[in-house]
Amino acid sequence: MKISYSWLTRHVDLAGVSAHDVARELTLSTAEVEGVHAFLPHLGDVTVGHVVERDKHPDADKLSVCKVDVGQGELLQIVCGAPNVRAGLKVAVATSGVTLPGDFKIKKSKIRGVESNGMICSERELGLGDEHNGIWELPLELRVGDKVASALGAQDWVIEIDNKSLTHRPDLWGHRGIARELAAILRRPLKPLDAAAQPWSASKAGEVAVRIETPNCSRYIALAVQGARADKSPLWLKRLLLAVGQRPIDLLVDLSNFVMLDLGQPNHLFDRRRLSADGIAVRMARAGESMKTLDGVERKLEPSDMLICSGDAPVALAGVMGGESSKVEGDTSQLVLEVATFHPTVVRRTSTRLGLRTDSSARFEKNLDPELAPLAARHLVHLLRAEQPDVRVVGAPTDVGDWKSTARRVPMRFERVRAMLGADISDDGILDILKRLEFGIEANSNGACVVLVPSFRGTKDVTLEQDLVEEVGRIHRYGNIPERELEGALTPPPRDEGWKRRMLVRRVEDRLALAAHFHQLVSYSFVHDGLLEKLGLAATPHVTVQNSIAEGFSRVRRSVMPSVLAVLEANRRRSASVALFEVGKGYVPSEGHEPLEVHEVALALCAAPAKKDARFDHNSLARLKGVVEDVVRSLGLEAGAWRKCESAPSWANPGRCAELRIGDVLVGELAPLEPGLARALGLSGELESDTALARLSIDALLGAAQRSKLYQPLPQFPDTLVDVALALPEERAAADATAAIERCGKGVVAGLELFDLYRGPNVGEGRKSLAWHVVLRASDRTLTDQDVKKFLERVEREAANLGGVLRRE
Amino acid sequence: MTYSPARVRELLTRIAEPLRAAPASTELSALLARLDAFQQLPDERLDATTALEASGAPLGAMRVIPGPSRGLVGATANELKKLAEAELAAHAERAAQAALEAERKASDFDATLPAARVERGALHPIVAVTRELEDLFTSMGWTVLDGPEVETEHFNFDALNIQPDHPARETMDTFWVATPPGAPRLVMRTHTSPVQVRAMKRLKPPFRAIVPGKVFRNESVDASHEHTFHQMEGLVVGKNISVGHLIGAMKTLLRGIFGREIEIRLRPGYFPFVEPGFELDARCPFCKDGCSVCKRSTWIELLPCGMVHPNVLRAGGIDPEQWTGFAFGLGLSRLVMLRYSIDDIRHLLGGDVRFVSQF
Ligand SMILES: [Zn+2]
Repeated sequence: MKISYSWLTRHVDLAGVSAHDVARELTLSTAEVEGVHAFLPHLGDVTVGHVVERDKHPDADKLSVCKVDVGQGELLQIVCGAPNVRAGLKVAVATSGVTLPGDFKIKKSKIRGVESNGMICSERELGLGDEHNGIWELPLELRVGDKVASALGAQDWVIEIDNKSLTHRPDLWGHRGIARELAAILRRPLKPLDAAAQPWSASKAGEVAVRIETPNCSRYIALAVQGARADKSPLWLKRLLLAVGQRPIDLLVDLSNFVMLDLGQPNHLFDRRRLSADGIAVRMARAGESMKTLDGVERKLEPSDMLICSGDAPVALAGVMGGESSKVEGDTSQLVLEVATFHPTVVRRTSTRLGLRTDSSARFEKNLDPELAPLAARHLVHLLRAEQPDVRVVGAPTDVGDWKSTARRVPMRFERVRAMLGADISDDGILDILKRLEFGIEANSNGACVVLVPSFRGTKDVTLEQDLVEEVGRIHRYGNIPERELEGALTPPPRDEGWKRRMLVRRVEDRLALAAHFHQLVSYSFVHDGLLEKLGLAATPHVTVQNSIAEGFSRVRRSVMPSVLAVLEANRRRSASVALFEVGKGYVPSEGHEPLEVHEVALALCAAPAKKDARFDHNSLARLKGVVEDVVRSLGLEAGAWRKCESAPSWANPGRCAELRIGDVLVGELAPLEPGLARALGLSGELESDTALARLSIDALLGAAQRSKLYQPLPQFPDTLVDVALALPEERAAADATAAIERCGKGVVAGLELFDLYRGPNVGEGRKSLAWHVVLRASDRTLTDQDVKKFLERVEREAANLGGVLRRE
Repeated sequence: MTYSPARVRELLTRIAEPLRAAPASTELSALLARLDAFQQLPDERLDATTALEASGAPLGAMRVIPGPSRGLVGATANELKKLAEAELAAHAERAAQAALEAERKASDFDATLPAARVERGALHPIVAVTRELEDLFTSMGWTVLDGPEVETEHFNFDALNIQPDHPARETMDTFWVATPPGAPRLVMRTHTSPVQVRAMKRLKPPFRAIVPGKVFRNESVDASHEHTFHQMEGLVVGKNISVGHLIGAMKTLLRGIFGREIEIRLRPGYFPFVEPGFELDARCPFCKDGCSVCKRSTWIELLPCGMVHPNVLRAGGIDPEQWTGFAFGLGLSRLVMLRYSIDDIRHLLGGDVRFVSQF
């Protein structure tokens, strides 16, 4: 919201207080100020010009060639691209040599072959805001050749307040409300409003008949106004409106806007001659009804929309916008002024649904004080009569509605205020602040009192003692509250599930990022439909949002793996090898309940394909397996056992998927990327990759058995190294053979390393050769050749049991 | 005794003398001839190697030396041998020292040659900063809590005093989860605040907790807006917790983040779940008189905070007459961006290894 500094001075004396001071005071006590800028900052250099002639540019449809009088005797030829430029306008002209905001220097130039001697400026070009629909149309009575700044009167400053910081303060949606805050902060009196205004008494049966047929309108005031003319507004009014970004139209429209921006109370003028003799009705719309609003758009209505009707015909969308049919045009001699209080939610819903957010709806949806309505009505009439003394209010104003005063009583304990703020403010100090804010005090005794909250603060903002704490705190200033240390026993956080998971995740992350040199991802929880389709998961139930950020991004991942897959191709394109992991959550929907939350880590290792004759463990799958085993080991868990996975996840090559179990607990899966998916993800052809993936369940790791960590005595006798090679049937698992070798050297096999896997003519079809480095060691003696020989004989027999043979060199 | 050809000749003479006096034999004559040959070598050829060889002549022919001379000749020959060996060892040591000296004065060294490649990985910067904050707070006795990203309407809104017709519900750009009619409505949580009430229900006051996590807003994405980002909620509930405590805790937080004293200011801010509510600004740590980070204001809007609203305490089953508390919501993503001067929020979750590998 834009607030004009000089407008504020109509309500409070700001002598010695600059616009920047105002901004700072408001920031620290009331609302967020986004900026202060001088109104008309560059206008000291810009000249009032009069567009005498306007012709089409010979070579460009959208350009005009204007002859502009800037009081220099001869007319300036200026090329202008604005759609609204036309003969007769008074405009702001930057002549050659003038510098505009953004260090934009105006020079004589040729535009599409036509000479241009300056620029006719839009408001945005002059730093007056964002208005850039065309050039700025100045009031017509300004004198040609004057500098725009001086022609428009005193310099002003515009204080831009963040609307979001005013959502709970309906009283601050006008200059008077802001001035009232400043008066309280600065300890200056608020000037009385319209001290000279005539008192008037309204009645339910006034001149204009009004029926309220919905509980959503709590107050409706209607006045019949006679003899008003749609003159041009006086300069003071135009200047204030311009400063806050309102385009002056005529006195009636401008005063209506002025009162809204002054007091925060929207109001509306109808042409009385176009209203039915049955008077005005306020009702909810009926299904299928529609009306044309002032902007010329035909609006389909819903039963949740509130209407102002003439008889039964809609003439305004209550609180949002007037209707075309009762628009004031031409003859303004008979008007009806509406000042009403509408239900905030009804107005907000309608304006949101129609995408019609107006200055009026913005105010109503904050919940206006019904007691503001008569003030606004009287204010408008008073200002109108000041300009047009022969304007009359016909008959008695009508004032109907079952509104109740929003003023309320809130009990307050002084000690509670001090304790909550942690500030040592005396009872009197607290009372002083509340009084400055126009709060009343009753029944002050025994350290407590009852605070009378004025109606303009009682609509929803101040209802509890806690709210009064805020009032006292913000005027006292939070900066004056001394900082305090938290006290109390320092006990370590409980070692609960959450703590254990956090510690485990940290260790997993450290191991992967710092030891295995993987890069950590933190990704979106949404996963694209296209990827789910490729994964064959399109039909699997997912948590799904109704309003996705983009087409196809409505589903929430069940597992972390898709997030990792989503970025593989892009990273592989940039790097020969990619090692990624993400620790995160997946959500599995559960009908009628909150979805099940799973914690996982997904790993991907992606590199150029391994060489044909590479060692059996020189590939991504084997490397990733090593990483997974290292993680498990570093978590202090039992090593667990790998076996072929019978129900491979959709990302895994089902023929080569292994699962890891620790005891009975399934910890995760490891596999090369499903080959069809590799193609679909672009990891084929030029980006042909050897990609291995693994998923580990954090939840399962948390429950897995811990490895014994008891000390083992260091060996006292030397190692004997022997290599063992077995030719085995293809289906025999390496782990089985390894276990067999261990059995053969029970108690003396101190280490085993499988170092070769070979298939070929030397071992025969359907067979493979495996070779191990075996470390033999006894705990009580040095082993002899005889021991080794016996060991190998046992291996030979055991190999036969496995359907294989011990290979001798 | 230091080595010299003269000394060698002297020892050779002393070896030869008794031999000459002994009864002649063919072998003895041959030995003497060999000794004479050594004796007559010029100085420059009488080096330690030759001297060692010379000492070997009598030592290798002891059996031809008549008995009475054997002891003396043997002892002298051994003396010559030791002299030669000592000289050889000294020579080797001098050569070794010279080589070390040459290595120390290497002339083929280029300090700028590239290193051997060492693979490295990296923690995501959000994780790194989250850990820092977790460590800071846990060291002060705070608990770290977690909460679901898919949250109920109740915890995300109702329990936080955000009534059904409250504009905040609409302005928060909520992602609503499709749920069957009649089932509790679910949202992608719009803030980490719902964990406030979950925490109150689980922990007995007094307690202090932080909740780092992912949050979601359905707003259009650009360099400074993401639909998914990270926050860290903080919540303290205790006896007589005041605005003063909030200020103290926030200063400690900033000291932890920036490693030095940072001036702060609280100004009014409105959030339905706190009363009074504040915006906390920190004096811009990057400038003295305005920069692009603080938009020339010298203040950086850092976090919303406030005293927990009595309705929220009640929703968490806590009596607001007995207990009070404060809460804050730190923009983790924003803090990470500030910390590392990241100019585009989309990098954070974008999954580009070139980004993550910088940290
Ligand atoms: Zn700065």
